[in-house]
Amino acid sequence: MAPIVKVSNLDKYFGRLHVLKNVSLEVSEQEVVCLIGRSGSGKSTLLRCMNFLEEPSDGSIELDGIKIEASSKGKIHRQMIHEVRLKTGMVFQEFNLFPHMSVLENVMEGPVIVKGMDQQTAMELAEKSLDSVGMLFKKDEYPARLSGGQKQRVAIARALTMEPKVMLFDEPTSALDPELIGEVLNVMKKVAKEGMTMIVVTHEMAFAREVADRVLVMSEGEMIEDSPPEELFKNPKDARTKALIERYRSGEQ
Amino acid sequence: MSLSKEEAASPTPQAELLYQAQQNKELRFRTNVALSWLFLLLFLVFIFSGQQISIGDWTFSTIKIDRTFISENLLFIAGGLGETIRISILSIIVATILALLAALGRLSTVPPVYALSTFYVSLIRGTPLYLQIFFFFLALPQLGIFLSGTVAGVLALGLNYGAYMSEIFRAGLSSVGKGQREAAMAIGMTPSQTMRRIVLPQALRFAIPPTGNEFIAMTKDSALVAATGFVHELMWRATKVGRATFHNLEGLLMAAIFYWVMTLILTSIQSRIETRLAKGDR
Repeated sequence: MAPIVKVSNLDKYFGRLHVLKNVSLEVSEQEVVCLIGRSGSGKSTLLRCMNFLEEPSDGSIELDGIKIEASSKGKIHRQMIHEVRLKTGMVFQEFNLFPHMSVLENVMEGPVIVKGMDQQTAMELAEKSLDSVGMLFKKDEYPARLSGGQKQRVAIARALTMEPKVMLFDEPTSALDPELIGEVLNVMKKVAKEGMTMIVVTHEMAFAREVADRVLVMSEGEMIEDSPPEELFKNPKDARTKALIERYRSGEQ
Repeated sequence: MSLSKEEAASPTPQAELLYQAQQNKELRFRTNVALSWLFLLLFLVFIFSGQQISIGDWTFSTIKIDRTFISENLLFIAGGLGETIRISILSIIVATILALLAALGRLSTVPPVYALSTFYVSLIRGTPLYLQIFFFFLALPQLGIFLSGTVAGVLALGLNYGAYMSEIFRAGLSSVGKGQREAAMAIGMTPSQTMRRIVLPQALRFAIPPTGNEFIAMTKDSALVAATGFVHELMWRATKVGRATFHNLEGLLMAAIFYWVMTLILTSIQSRIETRLAKGDR
């Protein structure tokens, strides 16, 4: 199957700090890819480059047929970024729900404002999404009245309502209390089962093992491993991957 | 919820007693504060009572006020209230718009925009409001711009308060986290949609209480506009009314009462708005 996401020779500098070093990867349609690595390894930056929340310094990103070179600029470049953002949904570590809007309004905002959908259609769509993450019963609440897990489920619904081709998850459970992680992971599993292409930056090894088709490992801005989970966890090729997995194993006990 | 309903409904007597003790303490405090206010108010009235008190060799005289003059001119002074309120409302609108623009400019990464914003704020904050008001009356006509007293006054006040209030709006805009902008951009919002739909509503909500304070201050600073002699608001009337007959003090006293009462009313409205905003705080 042709890749829906194709990252080629991506470099990213923050000033003199080289955070992504010639990174390339491909993700096929309906594939679930987990991106792991220690903090500071560049995995979040890589993910954020995919919808241009971070502008890559060099290389290119192709997403569902739209190819953007890091070096290009100007109006067409911005238009292409806009289109890529329409094709991607993003879920953040800190949820980033809009606090001044109700749950339903949060989810309707994209369809109404960005896509120009009429209120009625948008509402039906939003309610359907909220139902699919089990949050319809809180649709009139404001985000501050929700638990972290509930907020994250609403955030997932907000992203899904835009009907993206690819979902990007940036450590979606890292800000959650341990007892709330399960409900979010369950929703993510459901989304994966429905055939969504997903790229997930995570520390949840169990999730990666169970749900991912491939696990990518990053270390100091480089992609050091790309294997199916069973292989990666059984016999990691790179010593650094081995150390990473050992660390998680000991943490899990 | 392991607590049964009865347990929740009837707290232990000890908790009840503690609660009552605290309530009583608070009530006592409030009563004493109110009584002290009353005493201070009576003292103020006494100062203006015109009495002479002699204790032995020492006499103490209070300020004499012509009461008939006051009752005759009360309506004339009160007639300035409307103008004072009108100037204040118009000025706070001008100030709010300028403050928002200046705050956005201050956060801009375009050098000339940033410079314009900081230049404006620096110039206005670096000179007295009283001087600025005169400047508007005297300088603009030389440019061929002739404004009515009210319009020039509103512009001067608005420009001045806008510079000070830009800090409020800057803080409001900064209070909206980077994550909010990113979430908006991730669903495909343009920068202007992000600003309009996500950042501004949150920033303005943050800015409402301090803007209320500025408005209350504005109602009194509007008095400075009287100095130009073209705006017939409270202060102008207060200074005008008794000048010919040496009743200056009576006019000022009346104006002072009007300003004070107005402030008390506005303050209570302000605290009500704040309570409501705090309740809806999410």
